[in-house]
Amino acid sequence: MPKTFEEFPGVEWVEGAGEFIKIDEDKCSGCAGCVKVCLAGCYEISKKKARIKSLEKCMECAACWFVCTEGAIDFSWPPGGTGYRSDWG
Amino acid sequence: MGLIPVADNYDVLVVGAGFGGPVAAKRCADAGLKTLMVERAGVPGEKVVSGLVIPIYGFLFGPDFIRDGNPPIERPICSVVNRMVKGGQIFDTDRSLKVPKPVALGYATYCKPFCTWLADRAVDSGAELRTATTAVDVITEDGRVSGIVTDSGERIRSTIVIDSGGTQNQLSIKAGLRKKFIPEAIELYMLWDFEMTKEDVDSVFGNSMEFFHAMPEENIGAPLGYGSTLYFFTYRNSIHPGLGQFLVTRGETPNVARLLREYFDNFTDKVERWKREIAPRVKLRSVLWDVCPIYAGLLEETREMPIYGDGLLIIGDAAGFEASAFGDGVPNAWFSAEIAADVAIEAVRRGDISRSVLAAYEERIKAHPFIMHTITDFRRWDMRRLLLTRDEAEFKRKVRDHWGIGAFRYGNMGGPCMKAARDMIKQNPTVIRSWVNMFRRYFKNWENESFDRLSTDQR
Repeated sequence: MPKTFEEFPGVEWVEGAGEFIKIDEDKCSGCAGCVKVCLAGCYEISKKKARIKSLEKCMECAACWFVCTEGAIDFSWPPGGTGYRSDWG
Repeated sequence: MGLIPVADNYDVLVVGAGFGGPVAAKRCADAGLKTLMVERAGVPGEKVVSGLVIPIYGFLFGPDFIRDGNPPIERPICSVVNRMVKGGQIFDTDRSLKVPKPVALGYATYCKPFCTWLADRAVDSGAELRTATTAVDVITEDGRVSGIVTDSGERIRSTIVIDSGGTQNQLSIKAGLRKKFIPEAIELYMLWDFEMTKEDVDSVFGNSMEFFHAMPEENIGAPLGYGSTLYFFTYRNSIHPGLGQFLVTRGETPNVARLLREYFDNFTDKVERWKREIAPRVKLRSVLWDVCPIYAGLLEETREMPIYGDGLLIIGDAAGFEASAFGDGVPNAWFSAEIAADVAIEAVRRGDISRSVLAAYEERIKAHPFIMHTITDFRRWDMRRLLLTRDEAEFKRKVRDHWGIGAFRYGNMGGPCMKAARDMIKQNPTVIRSWVNMFRRYFKNWENESFDRLSTDQR
């Protein structure tokens, strides 16, 4: 069964997306740009480095990847048929 | 030089079945090319997010099959209403941009049914469609792209690959052709979908969409130097307000995630029109967001990135063809899809896919009456400048020039439409009848809800 969240009605997350966003800690400057642009709250700063808390509400917009000028965020699409879906986009 | 044996599995492989991909695939399939679309979503369009009124020039000057077809639309939009807000009160309303029914300025639609309809038409023409398939890499041989690798590790070979993978554009980056867009070019937008009965949408909005503009201190979506206007797209049984914010402004990343929610909360807390006329009639159904490369065309660094390479053509948002004036890239996705398809067809027929043949793609994109004009429209940028200088009178005038009657005089609805119309009529005068029929049919289809059945309906 796809996951849903009260905070984001009308959107479903199909399981199996896996870790499609990764952070290279060595490159991360801890600027928190990713935290500031993520509407799903996927990121936190821990010990001056960005860390992914959870991708379970990620809508795959890649704002974090665009804003990371250090190139510390590796973004790729999740496997076909997994991740978010909506009838109302 | 450049001649290759035609031993590939597919002539054309289209990555992404959003708005552009199926148009390219259909055209290639119609020309007899063996064509495959791969789409990462389970159903085309269910990962596409856009508050969406597709401007009329996409329908008039884009693919014939859309103009002459019965795609699912949510509402014909016949006027744009611009409201200036201060202290929650509307102090000025501009209704100068309007056309008489059944003529429309654009058609509102949800992405999923529309993209599914487009993909259905491509499949009808003989293109294959593989859904739930992510293209993770390109196959490169002798320096040219010759296919893709899917998430299951399958290698699919093709003479030409068309990348219509959207703003995040993974494939063209993997091919070494492009870099990711710089954050200054990217807008993050958030949308709220509310159910509202058709009778209520009819009485509160009619066939209008609305913009709410304000000076930065109102904090309803146009704060100092950041963001853009709050807009209401009106659908059949729903409304779709939304707002956007740039990821980086003047070298800084604001807390976009917090601000987008704050602006909308401020709007719903303060603005009388929302509180009295809209809120009592609506029920929240969905909250969504995505990014678009809205300023890609305004910045030289992003505008000058390659849009083709050996064996690869890039269309739509993936190529940065996002209209900065209206923030809607669908017509440009359609135009570039048709041009890419024509270049691919010509190359496959000649058995020559060398760069010099594919260079025709860039030449034709640059000569197109809409694409370069819409992506380099600086007026939206100018409006941000006026917000910074707090010149309210000039801002009001610019709103009218931009989203009011000025759209005919200076904007996409003006010069480029006249030129495109003249060119098309010269080529084939009967196109006028097709346009008249389109306006009538689209309106009647909307009134009677008589659109084509979708492949997803039959499941």
